Amino acid sequence: MAALPRRIIKETQRLMQEPVPGISAVPDDSNARYFHVIVTGPEDSPFEGGLFKLELFLPEDYPMSAPKVRFITKIYHPNIDRLGRICLDILKDKWSPALQIRTVLLSIQALLSAPNPDDPLANDVAELWKVNESEAIRNAKEWTRRYAMDN
Amino acid sequence: MEQFEQLLTCAICLDRYRNPKLLPCQHSFCMEPCLEGLVDYVRRQVKCPECRAEHRIPYQGVQGFPTNVTLQRFLELHIEITGELPDPTSGQVMERCNVCSEKAYCSFCSHCDKKICEECKGAHMEILRREISRINNQIRRGIHRLQDTLALVEKNTQSIQANCSSVSEEVEEIYRRLSKALKDRTEYLRGEIGRYMGTEMRSLTNLKENLEQEISNILSNCDLADKHMNENVDIWDDCELMDAKEIFLKTVEFIRNFEYENTDYSRKIRLVLAHDPNQLVLHVAGFGDLNLGNQHFSQGSGMLQPPGPGLMRSKSDHRLASQFRQQEERGYDRGYGDNQEEPLLGGRKFGERPKTTTTDRYGDRYGRGGNDYGDDYDNDTRPPRSRYSRFRRHVQDNDSDTEQPTRGVRFTEQQKIEREKVLDTEDVARGPLSGITRLADSPRVMKKLQENESGKKKEKEAPPPPQPAPQPKVVPKRPPPPANRQVSEEDEIAKIKKQNKGATTSTETETRPAERVAAEERHTTTQRKTPAPEAISSPEESDESVTSLQQTQRKTPVTTKTAAPTRRPSDAGHKKSTRSASSDSNSSTETSTASSSAIRSTGAPFTTEEVKQKYLSRGNADTPQDTRTRASSTVSNKETQPQKTFQSRFLHNKTTTAPPPASKDDEETESSSEEETESDEDSDDNTTSKKTDTKEIAKSDIGPLLARSANARDSSTENARRSSRDETPTYTRSRYGIPKEESPVRKYGRSRTGTTSSTVQDEEPARYGYTSRFLNKSKSTATLQPDEEEHKYGSTLGEDSDSKYPTGRSRYMALKERRQRLARSRSSQQFGDEEDIDEPISPTSSNPSAYLASKGYGSAASSGHDLARSRSSHALKSRDNSPDRPSTTEKDGAALSSWARYLKNKYGNRNSGKDKDSGTSSMSPSSSSTTARRLSLGLPLRSSTELGSSDDDQKNMQGSPTTPPTAVTAAAGIAVAVAGTSPRSQYLQKCQQLFEIGSRGSEAGCFTWPRGVAVGPDNSIVVADSSNHRVQVFDSNGRFLKEFGQYGNGEGEFDCLAGVAVNRIGQYIIADRYNHRIQVFDPSGRFLRAFGSQGTADGRFNYPWGITTDALGFIYVCDKENHRVQVFQSDGTFVGKFGSMGSKEGQLEHPHYIAVSNTNRVVVSDSNNHRIQIFDVNGKVLSSFGIEGSEDGQFKFPRGVAVDDQGYICVADSGNNRIQIFHPDGTFLRSFGCWGIGKGEFKGLEGVAMTPNGHILVCDRENHRIQVF
Repeated sequence: MAALPRRIIKETQRLMQEPVPGISAVPDDSNARYFHVIVTGPEDSPFEGGLFKLELFLPEDYPMSAPKVRFITKIYHPNIDRLGRICLDILKDKWSPALQIRTVLLSIQALLSAPNPDDPLANDVAELWKVNESEAIRNAKEWTRRYAMDN
Repeated sequence: MEQFEQLLTCAICLDRYRNPKLLPCQHSFCMEPCLEGLVDYVRRQVKCPECRAEHRIPYQGVQGFPTNVTLQRFLELHIEITGELPDPTSGQVMERCNVCSEKAYCSFCSHCDKKICEECKGAHMEILRREISRINNQIRRGIHRLQDTLALVEKNTQSIQANCSSVSEEVEEIYRRLSKALKDRTEYLRGEIGRYMGTEMRSLTNLKENLEQEISNILSNCDLADKHMNENVDIWDDCELMDAKEIFLKTVEFIRNFEYENTDYSRKIRLVLAHDPNQLVLHVAGFGDLNLGNQHFSQGSGMLQPPGPGLMRSKSDHRLASQFRQQEERGYDRGYGDNQEEPLLGGRKFGERPKTTTTDRYGDRYGRGGNDYGDDYDNDTRPPRSRYSRFRRHVQDNDSDTEQPTRGVRFTEQQKIEREKVLDTEDVARGPLSGITRLADSPRVMKKLQENESGKKKEKEAPPPPQPAPQPKVVPKRPPPPANRQVSEEDEIAKIKKQNKGATTSTETETRPAERVAAEERHTTTQRKTPAPEAISSPEESDESVTSLQQTQRKTPVTTKTAAPTRRPSDAGHKKSTRSASSDSNSSTETSTASSSAIRSTGAPFTTEEVKQKYLSRGNADTPQDTRTRASSTVSNKETQPQKTFQSRFLHNKTTTAPPPASKDDEETESSSEEETESDEDSDDNTTSKKTDTKEIAKSDIGPLLARSANARDSSTENARRSSRDETPTYTRSRYGIPKEESPVRKYGRSRTGTTSSTVQDEEPARYGYTSRFLNKSKSTATLQPDEEEHKYGSTLGEDSDSKYPTGRSRYMALKERRQRLARSRSSQQFGDEEDIDEPISPTSSNPSAYLASKGYGSAASSGHDLARSRSSHALKSRDNSPDRPSTTEKDGAALSSWARYLKNKYGNRNSGKDKDSGTSSMSPSSSSTTARRLSLGLPLRSSTELGSSDDDQKNMQGSPTTPPTAVTAAAGIAVAVAGTSPRSQYLQKCQQLFEIGSRGSEAGCFTWPRGVAVGPDNSIVVADSSNHRVQVFDSNGRFLKEFGQYGNGEGEFDCLAGVAVNRIGQYIIADRYNHRIQVFDPSGRFLRAFGSQGTADGRFNYPWGITTDALGFIYVCDKENHRVQVFQSDGTFVGKFGSMGSKEGQLEHPHYIAVSNTNRVVVSDSNNHRIQIFDVNGKVLSSFGIEGSEDGQFKFPRGVAVDDQGYICVADSGNNRIQIFHPDGTFLRSFGCWGIGKGEFKGLEGVAMTPNGHILVCDRENHRIQVF
C-alpha cells in the first residue's frame, strides 16, 4: 500500500490535537485508514447519554470518495439499519472532497439528533417513527440504555 | 493567523495551495491532484466540493481554469512573512508514478529507469543501499583474491627476478664453461701440435744428421776405395780387403734397401673437428634459447582473473566463473599483458618463441600491445563499458537457460542507456585493471562527504543516495552474476526438489531395505564362512552387526577366542580362523598398523595414525622397551652389520621383483615365526599372568582383536573377502606376483618356522613329517656364519620392508624406510645375538594392553624393535608361564593379535600368499610359543599333548583329508569359492541401484554438484559437496552423519573442493580445488593441516582434483591443470610426481581422478586422452587402456576411478554417462548406466568409490546425488 496521503495525516493529526466535542476518532494501530470512532448521543435526543461506537474507513481514493462509516453499537434509528449502516447523503452521492472525517462524524451526530424517517433505511423503525413517534423514541431510549450505556 | 493559514489551505488536500485554480463558483483548489481528482470525465464536469456547483471543464482540462492569482500572491506573502521554505515541488507538474501509479511529483529514478514518486524512489534507494552493502560484503569477502593476487604478483616479480638472474647466471656459467672449454681445448690442441711438431722435428733432425753422417762416411769410403783400389797401392792386406768389401757390400745393401719412409713424415697433422665447424659455431652461437614456460603465462593470466570471477566464485558458480574468465582472459591479457609481460617480451627477442598454442596469444598480445593499450586505457570511458558489454553477453549466455531476468539484468539494462555517470569523471582515480573508479576520488562523493561532515544536510540525504546510481557502474560485473545465479540456483533447486521429492523418497524407502537385506545376507554368509571351522561361536558372532565386512573380520577373531578355551585339540581350527584374520591385518602391510595396534588395546578400531605419529607414540608408549632394544643393539658387537644388511637389502630389492627364492622365504618365515611365537607368548603372558581364566582373557583380548580386525579392514579394501580367502588352503592369489608354488614352501617354512626356527636349535626335527624341507633350509641357514646369519636376517628384514610395499623398490619409500630398516636390521642382530639381554628387560610390560600397544608401536616403527621386544617378552613369558602353559596355548588365539600384527609388519603383502598357511601357521603360535620358551629356557618344556595337537593341526592343514581338517578345508573352500566368485559375479550383477543419497540443496544430506566420493575405514561414505564447499559424511546406509567445511580459503574452509580420500586412520584428505591445496582433517572433521598452493613447482597445484591415499598413507593428487600426479607423504611432504601434458604413454591430459590398488597400482583417469593409465608408484606406466568412443571399453572423458581389493577397476565414463568395470588387467567386464535422472541413470559423472563389501558409489553430479550400486 502506498504511503498515507498527506491529507489523511493532517486530518488525523488535527483530530487528535483538536478533537470535536462529543466525538473521538482514533486510527487503528495497524491501519491508519481505519478509525475507531465513539460518538456521544446528542443532547435532547433519545440517544442522549449513549456512547455509540462506529468504525470509519478511508478508502483508497479518499478524499475523492466518501469514507465508509458504520455503527457498531446497536441503535434504534430510522436511518441506521440493524447492521449499523447509515443512510446519510454525504456518505453517498453528496460526498465532497471538501468534507472531512470530522465533518462526517458531526453529520452523523446531527443525524442522531434529527432522524429522518422519510428517507429510511430501517423500514420498521421508520414506520414506527412516523406512526408512533413517542413509542419509537421510547424504543430508541431503551436501546440506547441497553446497548450504549454500560460499556 | 490561523484563519489566514486556513485561507491558504486547499480544502481537498488540506495542504497549502499549489497552483490554485479558481472555479467559476469562486472556490479555489489546487490544480493537482485535487481538482484533477474531482473531474468527472464522462460528463466533462467538475463539481465544486464546497458548493457542489457543477462547472464545465475547459477544453484544455482543469488547467484551463484561471489561476487564483490573488491567492498565489497571498501564498507568496505568507511565505515571506513566515520565512517558510518554498515548496520544492512548486512549478512541477504531477505525473503518475510508474511504480505505484499514484499521482505525484515524480522524478527520474536511476534504479528502475522510470519516473517515479518520491516514496517509491525512497524505497528503491533503500533497495539499492541494501544491495550495495550486500555487494560490498561480497567484495570484502572477495577482496582477498586481489590481495592474494597482489601477493602473488609480488611473488611473481620476485620469482621472475630470481628466475631471470638465475638464468642469466646460468648463461654466464655456460659462457664461462664454454669459453673455458674452448680455451682449454685450444690450448690443449696447440700444445699437442707443438709437442707433435717437436717430436717429429727432433726425429727428423736426427735422421737428417744420421743421413748426413752416413753420406759423409760412405763418400769418404768411396773416395778411399777409389784411391786405393785403382792405384793398386797395396796398402791393405787381404783381411782388410775382405773387411772393406764387406763394408762396401753392406753399404750397397744399405743404400739399396734404405728407404726413407716419406709417408711417416709427410703425414699432415689435421684439425679434425668432431662437428662441422659451422655447425659448432652455430651451436655455440645459439647455445641456449630462452624458453618461456607456458605456465607462467597461464598462471599470470589466471592470477589476473580473480578480481572479476572471484566474487562470482564465492557464489559458488564456478562454471560461470570459468567461462567468464575465458572471456575475460583476452581482455586482461590485452590490457595487462603489456605492462606485466614486458620482460618476457624482452626475453623473447633472445630466443625463439615457445612453440605452443599460447604463442599466438602472446604474439598477438605483443603485436597489438600498443593499440590495445590505447584502446583500453587511453580512452577512459570505453574500457569499462566494453567490458560490461562483454559481461552482459556473458551473463546472458549463462542465464539464458536459467531464469527470468532479475536484478542482474536490470543492471545490464541500465548500462544500455547512457546514464549520466555522476561519479565517473575524469578526475577520479581509476582501477587500472577493472576500470573501477575510486569513489572517494569522485568530486561528488567528496562534496557529499564534506557536506555530510559539516552536517548541513541530514544524514539520510547525503552520500547514500548518489551511490545507488553509480554503484552499478562501479561494481558492474559483480552484482549481476550473484543475483542471477542465486535466483537461478534457487529456482533450479526448487525444480529439482520437486522432481526428486517423489523419486528420492520412494527410492530410498525401497532401496534401503533391499540393501539392508543384502547386507544381512552377506553377513550371514560371512558368518557361516568364518565360523565353519568351529561351529561353536555363532551366537557371539550374531551379536555384532555393524557392516557385514566388519562383522566378518571381527567375528573371526571373536569366535576363535570364544571357542579357544573350550576346545584345545581343535585349536588349530581356531587358530586358523584367527590366523586368517590376523593375516588379513598382515596383508594390510601397513606400518601404520602399529599405531593402530597401539590403539587396539583401547578397542578403537581406526585410530591408527601415520608413521610419524606412530613414531611419536611409540616414543611415548614404548620408551622402556624401545630404548632397551636400542641399547642392546648398540651393545651388539657388529656395528657395521646394519650397513651390510642395508646393501644386501638393496640387492634383494633388485631381485625381489621375481618371486623371492624359497630359502629367503624360509628365512623370513623363520624370523617372523620366531616373532610370532614370541608375540604370542607375550600376549599369552600378559593375559595369563593376569588371570588364568581364559574367558577373562578372551574378553580383554577382544578389544584388541576387534581393533586389529578393524585395522585390517582399514589397511585395504580387501576385507571379508580376503579374510575368507585367506583361509582357504588352495587359494593362491598372490597380490604381489609371487607364484603359487611359493605358498607351499612358505607354508612349510612358516608353519614350521615358529617351531622350527627354534627347533633347529632344539633339534626336534622329527616332530613333523614334512619338516624335512624346512629343516634343510633352516639348517642351511643355521649353518651360516653368525655374521652371515645376521646379515641374512637383516636382508630378510629389508626384504620384508620392501615387500611391505609391494613395489618396495619405489625410491621414496625406500628412502622413507631406510631408517626403519636400519633399525630393524640392527634389532635383527639383536635377535640373533642378544636374547639374554632382552630377556631381563621384557618384564616391564606386564599390562597386556600397554604391552600390546607398545608392541604395536614397535612393530610399526621397526619390526626389529618388535623382534627384540617380542623376543624378550616371550622369554619373560616363557619363564613366567611355563607352568601355565596349557592355558596359554589356548590363549594363542588372543596372542595372535600381536603376532598378526607382527606378521603384518613383517610380511606385508605376502600375506595373501601365506594366508593359505593360516591353518598351519595358526597353530604355529602354540607350538612356536612353546619352542620359543624352550629355547629361551633351554628346556624341553613342551608338553607332548600340545605337540601332538599342533602336529595334528599342521597335518590337517597339510590338507590330508582327515575329518577335522576336511571340515576346515571345506569351509575354507566355500569361503574361497564365495570370495573368489563374488567380485566378478557381483559386478556382473550390478545395475540395480541399491539406494541413493541426496538431492540438490545445501541442507545436510543435500548436494550441489558433488564431486569426489570416498569410503571411510568404517565404511562411511564421504562426499565432496563441491559447490556447497563442504564434506559430508554418511554411514554405509546413506544416513547423514556429519559435515564440515564452509566456503573460504582459511583453515578448514573450501573453495569448490573436488576430491576426497580417507586414509586408513580415518583422516579426511581433501583436494581443495580452487584454493589449490590439499587439506587434511582428523576423523572428527577437525582441520589438521593444509599444504600446497597454486603453481607448477613441486608441491604446488593447479586445480587439484582427484585424490587418493594408499595403504601407507601416501597421498596421490591429480594435479589437473598441471597434467600430472603428485605424491606426498601424509604430512604433506612432497615425494614425487609423474606425468606431463601429452597423449603419449605416461603423459596425461587433465587427469581427474586417481585410485591406488592394494597392489600399489596407481590408476589414473587420463580424462582428455580418454583412457585409463596405470602406473606403478614410481610413475612408470604399467598399462593403459581405453580410447575415445562409446563402445564397451571405450571412454569419453573418463573421470572417477576406483579399484577394489581384487584389483577390479571401476571407471566413471563421464561422457557416456555410464559406469564401466574392468578386470584388473584392463579387459572390459561390464558397463551400466545411461544418461538420465532416474535410478541408475547419470548426468555428469564424477568420482566413484568401491566399498569393501562390493558396493559402487557413484557421484552423479548434475543430479546432485550419490548412487549406490
